[in-house]
Amino acid sequence: MTDLTLKRRHVLMGMGAIGTLATFGLPQGAMAQTPKAGGTLRISHSTRIATLNVLSLSGPAEYPCIDMIYSGLTRIGLDSKVHPDLAKSWDASADAKEFTFHLREGVKFHDGTPFTAEDVVATYTAILNPDIPSSARSVLTMVEKIEAVDPLTVKFTLKTPFADLPVSTAHANARILSKAALAGPLTDLDTKANGTGPFKLDVYDSARMVRLVKNPDYYQPGKPYLDAVEMMLFPDLAAETANFLSGATDVMLTVQQAEFARIAAQPGIEAKRVASGRYVCIVMRQDQKPWDDVRVRRALALATDRELLVDVILEGLGRPAADSIVPPELAFATDKPAIPYDPEAAKKLLAEAGYPDGLKATLVASDRPAIRAQTAIALKQSAAAGGFDLTIETMPHDTYLANVWMKGAFYIGYWGMQPTIDATYRLLLTSDASYQDTEWKNAEFDALIEEGRATVDEAKRAEIYAKAQAMEAEDVPYIVPFFEDVLTASSTKTASWEVAPISRYFYVEDVWLDKA
Amino acid sequence: MTLAYLLRRLGAIVVVLAIVTVAVFGITMVLPGNAALMILGEHATPENLVAMERQLGLDRPVWVQYGTWVWGVLHGDFGMSLRLSLPVAQVVGEAFWNSAWLALMALAGVTVIAIPLGALAALKRGSVWDLVIGLFSYVGTAMPEFVTATLLLILFASPEWPVMPAGGYVAPSEDFLGFLRHAILPAGTLGLILMAHISRQVRSEMSEVLSSDYIRAARLKGLRGRRVVWRHALPNSLAPAVAVISLDVGYLLGGIIVVEEIFAWPGLGRTLIYALQNRDLPVIQAITLLLAVVYALSNLIADIIIAWLDPRVRHA
Amino acid sequence: MRDFLRNPAGLVGLCLLSIVIGAALFGPWLAPYDPQQFHPKTRLQGPSWDFWLGTDQYGRDLLSRILNGAPSTVFFGIGSTALGVGVGSVIGVIAGVAGGRTDSVIMRVLDGLLAMPELLFTLLIVTFLGGGTTQAMLAVAVTFAPGMARIARSSVLSVRTREYVMAATARGESRAWIVGREVLPNALGPIIVEATIRVSFAIMIGATLGFLGLGAQPPSTEWGLMVAEARQFMFRNPWCVAVPGLAIAFTAMGFNLFGDALRDAFDPKRSR
Repeated sequence: MTDLTLKRRHVLMGMGAIGTLATFGLPQGAMAQTPKAGGTLRISHSTRIATLNVLSLSGPAEYPCIDMIYSGLTRIGLDSKVHPDLAKSWDASADAKEFTFHLREGVKFHDGTPFTAEDVVATYTAILNPDIPSSARSVLTMVEKIEAVDPLTVKFTLKTPFADLPVSTAHANARILSKAALAGPLTDLDTKANGTGPFKLDVYDSARMVRLVKNPDYYQPGKPYLDAVEMMLFPDLAAETANFLSGATDVMLTVQQAEFARIAAQPGIEAKRVASGRYVCIVMRQDQKPWDDVRVRRALALATDRELLVDVILEGLGRPAADSIVPPELAFATDKPAIPYDPEAAKKLLAEAGYPDGLKATLVASDRPAIRAQTAIALKQSAAAGGFDLTIETMPHDTYLANVWMKGAFYIGYWGMQPTIDATYRLLLTSDASYQDTEWKNAEFDALIEEGRATVDEAKRAEIYAKAQAMEAEDVPYIVPFFEDVLTASSTKTASWEVAPISRYFYVEDVWLDKA
Repeated sequence: MTLAYLLRRLGAIVVVLAIVTVAVFGITMVLPGNAALMILGEHATPENLVAMERQLGLDRPVWVQYGTWVWGVLHGDFGMSLRLSLPVAQVVGEAFWNSAWLALMALAGVTVIAIPLGALAALKRGSVWDLVIGLFSYVGTAMPEFVTATLLLILFASPEWPVMPAGGYVAPSEDFLGFLRHAILPAGTLGLILMAHISRQVRSEMSEVLSSDYIRAARLKGLRGRRVVWRHALPNSLAPAVAVISLDVGYLLGGIIVVEEIFAWPGLGRTLIYALQNRDLPVIQAITLLLAVVYALSNLIADIIIAWLDPRVRHA
Repeated sequence: MRDFLRNPAGLVGLCLLSIVIGAALFGPWLAPYDPQQFHPKTRLQGPSWDFWLGTDQYGRDLLSRILNGAPSTVFFGIGSTALGVGVGSVIGVIAGVAGGRTDSVIMRVLDGLLAMPELLFTLLIVTFLGGGTTQAMLAVAVTFAPGMARIARSSVLSVRTREYVMAATARGESRAWIVGREVLPNALGPIIVEATIRVSFAIMIGATLGFLGLGAQPPSTEWGLMVAEARQFMFRNPWCVAVPGLAIAFTAMGFNLFGDALRDAFDPKRSR
């Protein structure tokens, strides 16, 4: 039964997709042709690369840059699983409290200095230093000690057991910096970069272009194929599209939903739709009325017309979700039955909860990105039939961040995909989650997640996480109406351009240009 | 128009600028949130926020921040952009030239086209020309820039019929023709609206001059029509036109913000909006200052030109 | 008034204005659909029998949205102008009547405020106020006030030296009486004329702020915001940006023409 539904969904998605749906295994670079070396890949993007500071950056066009410049101990693959990077292997103690990473030999930083365990220790010390802003700290809080056992071995000692540590070390913001760079002024990291990745920084101009050139000493022999990569900023979508279609650029990093069908229909273009775990969620603060009542939350869930939202907001380029923040791509994700749009049932539930005449509420949405306000508007329409009278309040992003985010009672959240179920839940739902904004605090749930962390046996973990997901479905801490696809496009001359579902890993070292 | 008067005007400008910087600084400080929060966005754990504020120097007392900034500016150092990892001088400097090109192209085009149009309308009062020009100027003044720009985009930049690029920018040093092509629609948008203002003004001033006693006297003396117009009427209606143009510089400085945003032209306006959204205070300050200086100077220069063109004002 | 009606521009202005005011008063009742109602099957359509002006990206009826947005647009224009003119006039009259040091201090401050380009000034204020219709209205009013104060002051000054004011002063009337009964009524003309023309500016600035995302917020039917929201779709359905855009232009033109004609009627010398 489970399998059947899953398959059916994939078939449906395959039909909806124009072009190709990314295969979740190896990149399609395993094509019959042998890769050609040389050439400059021009990637267009429409958000600024405001900084190259690996520790704290978060821009959509900044991630591909650091993915090319730096390497981490581990890296997430297109299959959403952990792969070795600078660590060629690792072993964990039976209690999942001690991890030993064996580093690759002969790796050099771009400036020629050899990469050693000391650099790893310095990097992770910086990440864990509360005086330095770093995004990866929240997934590494359990780390107690990092030591260099020898120049090619690093040992992590944890305060609490954590089976997914190698996933945490693959965090996009946990790339290895050189010890020397961390000893210097940290503001230098904004504009300078000395990594071990396949490309070296050549030009950094946040107003126009970031140019990277081939690192001949990259640890994968023969790679990268490209001589250089140029990240070209187009502050205007129309101009970006026009340039891409005319062949002035090879890759369009992000395609807007409204443009996807048109771009995909052009000859010589391969538009990709990658099913991803990026989602919009409706935050309902559960230490306050009326959201403390699960019946009200369920009523809103039933009053959410997911098909309509996917059609109108995503132009069909996404999947209805079932109020779980865990996307089907993640390991241990259970199959969740679709939630029907049933306004009558919603009204009935509202009446049971003590709102026979419906419920009034103000839903806050930030103005950036536009999808938040769009979701709010569509939800208002959809929920009206279910007895919800929603007032939409859209506000500038700075006001939202300062006044509503993590504080408001009812607002629209927007999150990227996380690499594991543990990271997904630890971000938002456990009592000590980094961004606990629902006050849905459940000791039983916390205990399950804790147990999952400490369990190494796969079958047991599956069982534990199934229980956790059942609790989530039961309690509806968030309304998650849909998962949004990651949309990208490349010219057919660009081989092996891939974006991982967690759109932070790009494997540009595998890309090559088929230009005769 | 004495030297003392000029000095007094310049002094007033400096005072105004000082007030502007204090106001912008003060209000930005009072607002909820700051650049650190905007950089971290929804990855802002309280811990990271504190660290980022320290890194950006936002944890210092307000007066220290302001003092440091003023001290820097007085020494020609506008500081670092909080968001863009670049010196403010570089960010704003590049943007300034891009905007200046756009504005100059619009102004030059308009001056060449609008003044003759206005004169034509005044000379052929009541003709079809007058009516068309009048209508055009009424419609032009009633369209906000974003409407004109959007309509121009639909007409000239649709995917089915892309005569013009839909926005963006090419550096003139790389591809001058491409630069011009990208500049046509934004400069045209600004120009259309300016043209409406200026041609109308020239028309009404010129009509007044044409019906004045000395022109009639000149005609009576037997001077031919064209000579009367070029030697007497037009120069006398120019002073008001210059006044309008200088007022329109103020309009232009506002309009450029919208136009640059729509056509993705990397000038002051677009940079200002980006800085406002990201609470990048040093950049906001620098751009506001720069725009206020340009505006004040253009007013001053216009006053000087008017005084020079119009003897009555010169002696007043 | 007869002069006014003979002026074709004024007549056109009056017609446009009547349509706009009519839409503002009765628009929401005339609208054929709920302006927020989605019609997901008919998104981004051109005009048809069902949707006279077409539909937007959610399949909402554009005609209904325009009609629904009319009252707030007109109210925004008139409201912010009234506020700006009111405050500005009071300041200007005080300066003009008081004269001396008060006058020169007030004028210095006004000069300072006028040293900022108008839209930039509004933009800064509204950013600092935090965006939203009320904030945008306040910002426009604040921007208008200095200019209006100048006009009010100069018209007070020109009235102040007229015979009837001098006569009243000679009669020994109180200052307040003179201002209230002689100066104000006679200085009012230019202020009203200027205000009418300013309404069109206010509407345009309001729409521009909406367009920039700093004024009205979704799902409002404010016209500038409608253009902004539909911009992504303008090539797929030009109607969804052209309709609100032209609505703004017509409204602004109505107030403009009307104001100009009004000015000509007040001051026949300028009609040429």
